Amino acid sequence: MGDRLRTPAGRVTVIVLVLTVVLLIFGVWWVSVSLPTTASNTMKAVKDTMLVFSIAAAPVMALVWGVAYFSLRQKRHSGDEPPEDGPPIRGNNRVVLSWVLVSSLLTLFLLIWGLAELTATSATADSPLVVEVTGQQWVWSFKYPDNGGVSTADLVLPADRPVLFKVTSTDVIHSFWLPEMGIKVDANPGIETDTATTPTLLGTFNVRCAELCGLNHSYMQTTVDVVPSADFDTWVQSNGGTVQ
Amino acid sequence: MAEATLVRQEAQPSPGGGIMRRLNMFTGILVGVVLAAVGYLIAHSLWSGDDQGPDQAVIVMEVCWVVGFMIGVGAFAPPIRWILGHDQTHEDEMYLAGENQGVWRYFKYTTDHKVVGTQYLVLAMTTFGVGGLLAMLIRTELSQPGEKFFGGQTYNSLVGVHGIIMIVSTIIMVLGPWGNFIMPIMIGARDMAFPRLNALSFWLLFPAVPVFLSIGFLGGIPTGWVAYAPLSNQAPPGMDAFAVAIIVFVASSMIANTNLIVTAVTMRAKGMTWNRTPIFVIGVVATALLGLVALPCFQAGMIYELLDRSQAASFFVPEQGGSQWLYANLFWLMGHPEVYVILLPAVAAILEIVPVFSRKPLFGYRIAVVGIIAIVALSIMVWAHHMFVSGWAPALDGPFMLTTELISIPTGLIFLAIIGTIWRGNIWLRLPMLFVYGFLWNFMIGGITGIYLSDVPVDNELHGALFVTAHFHYTLLGGAMIGAMAAIVYWFSKMTGRMFDEGLGKAAFWLVMIGFNVTFMAMFYNGLRGMPRRVATYAPQFTNGNVVSTIGAYVIASGMLIFLYATIHSWRSGEKASANPWQAKSLEWFVPSPPPLENFEVLPVVTGDAYGYGEPDSHHTTLPPVASTAVREASA
Repeated sequence: MGDRLRTPAGRVTVIVLVLTVVLLIFGVWWVSVSLPTTASNTMKAVKDTMLVFSIAAAPVMALVWGVAYFSLRQKRHSGDEPPEDGPPIRGNNRVVLSWVLVSSLLTLFLLIWGLAELTATSATADSPLVVEVTGQQWVWSFKYPDNGGVSTADLVLPADRPVLFKVTSTDVIHSFWLPEMGIKVDANPGIETDTATTPTLLGTFNVRCAELCGLNHSYMQTTVDVVPSADFDTWVQSNGGTVQ
Repeated sequence: MAEATLVRQEAQPSPGGGIMRRLNMFTGILVGVVLAAVGYLIAHSLWSGDDQGPDQAVIVMEVCWVVGFMIGVGAFAPPIRWILGHDQTHEDEMYLAGENQGVWRYFKYTTDHKVVGTQYLVLAMTTFGVGGLLAMLIRTELSQPGEKFFGGQTYNSLVGVHGIIMIVSTIIMVLGPWGNFIMPIMIGARDMAFPRLNALSFWLLFPAVPVFLSIGFLGGIPTGWVAYAPLSNQAPPGMDAFAVAIIVFVASSMIANTNLIVTAVTMRAKGMTWNRTPIFVIGVVATALLGLVALPCFQAGMIYELLDRSQAASFFVPEQGGSQWLYANLFWLMGHPEVYVILLPAVAAILEIVPVFSRKPLFGYRIAVVGIIAIVALSIMVWAHHMFVSGWAPALDGPFMLTTELISIPTGLIFLAIIGTIWRGNIWLRLPMLFVYGFLWNFMIGGITGIYLSDVPVDNELHGALFVTAHFHYTLLGGAMIGAMAAIVYWFSKMTGRMFDEGLGKAAFWLVMIGFNVTFMAMFYNGLRGMPRRVATYAPQFTNGNVVSTIGAYVIASGMLIFLYATIHSWRSGEKASANPWQAKSLEWFVPSPPPLENFEVLPVVTGDAYGYGEPDSHHTTLPPVASTAVREASA
């Protein structure tokens, strides 16, 4: 064991393993502290995916950086004349094949994971609350067609009920983004696009425009209040709407 | 020798060149400005009453400027002489190649590939400086929440012009200087296949730069560099300037790319089979091909856009049956291959540099070739990952996620070739190798964060956020531009005959690397927390990240200024370089630094590849290294 660690392959393995652990810790910490609050089932899927990808990426980054660092540390020269030539290694089919195999398997894993999450997050729920979202330079407006056509400039949603957003625009392309709920879809003039989620956390969150839409794009934002179901019904009625 | 010169002078009583003796960059600017003014006045008087009059006048003015410049610089003179039956004589061709014209030849329609390469380098560094300055204005505005220095209109224009100037600069930053200067010597040729087309490609690009800059004086562009319709239809005439500049730039690129491909395919030295062709040449050919496929889509989009704006053609106007998604598709059909057009030449330069400074053969040459070709092939099939949130064709989300993630496999092969070469090498840590290490650090981060974005649910959260901005800056600035800087410090001595200042270069390297990582790590952080791109102001919770980002940007700028100073200083008074200061094996190191007109007295014969480090029996060429020992003895 001790002898093995003293070969170049053994020593670089140690460096790569240590780096992997460091990067794993960093990646998990970074994703957890940076992403916004998880306010919907979609956002939970996004967060899980980012954690899984960070874990999968750590050994890859560690391998490349570890080998580069190790070679530099072992035989480093400076000065005007080049050092002697190194060993003439022109290739190694075993290394190449394992590299291709491992990177293909990793890619396959990412793909399967991604497709599974995509299917789960884009599944249409039965009888969702429908909200018509309209972007125009530079405000959002929301209409609840199934609740007597109540409309508002601040989005209000009941907790734990699937919502289907039907998004459009009256002028240029905007992008309807709920950062805490992990959903985004462009608002296109003359076309309706859909996105869906289920809010899972009570509170007030952001609604943003995420596509440069002209002069006041920076200010095109409002809020979404996620309230208990009963409070939502009260809010609808107090705005002259009907409860289903 | 003196006798020979005398005989030659007697043999040519007329010095050659004809009207080209009187034409140069300044006559080009003069004719361009005059024609632009005339064109503007005529168009203005004809159409000033129309709704689209201002757009038509601006388009006519910009086109007149470009055509006038090309007339004034002499682009049409040789073809017109040919039509009139006056073929170019040998003396005319030698004059066009810049023989005995000193520094003046850099300001003329000169066909020597080394002049064109040098012109490209100076132009790319200049436009990079402009783009960088705009970046500093953006970061200054974002140093605090609230609109402090610029209003929304100006800020949006800054973002858009910064974007497009940087895209153009990075597309030309390796192919232009080193594809033109080094690649022909590397394959053992005396010039490019079409020397006059080479001059044409540069001098078409040159007048496009003022057209880009005129955007700022014509109301700006509110759209960012993507110029999405229908917002672009609302834009002031700055949008017309943008479109004209792109159309001209793409024309220039198509000419340059064709020339590069034909040169590499047909003019390789005797014995230089594809297997013995240096990897940089492979990278240049692959990139040029990719550019030929991708760039015309953008050109077509811009032609349609101009017709929409000036003639109510309604290609992209939804109310009249047009489609904004048609524009988005055309744009990204260019837009994603284009990032590889930027990246691949820099990667190929890195692959060329790594063996020299590891003193080992390139690991897996064939693997690297396969990687490059596979990236080219896949990169034309991934464009719609930029449209995951657009709502266009949700059924294609899965397939485009597949192609996008597949591209990580050939990219991995390139990484394997680099670290396989470095592995157990005797690392000669000179300036070019330092930049290779910088590339490995930055591009790894850029690549990994790209995998997050390839995932549709994650992209739904991060698209349009600063995370994307940070990601592509890691690939294009941290990866491609650091690679381009490696190429500059590596080939600088060949171009100028002087060594790049190692101390200043190292200071620049560390400032740029540290500043870069600080700036864009902070941007990743703010992006993950939900800060959108392209906003002039932001919520207070993003302040800390933005302050850090702005400080980092100033560190990058100081590093870049040192790099610029080091370039100018080394060019003027750097240490004289021998023919082969890096003891490398490819053909450009077998000619003097700087190489004479037509490069080789005797064309080389190639007998092996250029990576035979540690293999005493392996020789790239039978040509003896010119003057390198003599020069070193003289300098010692």
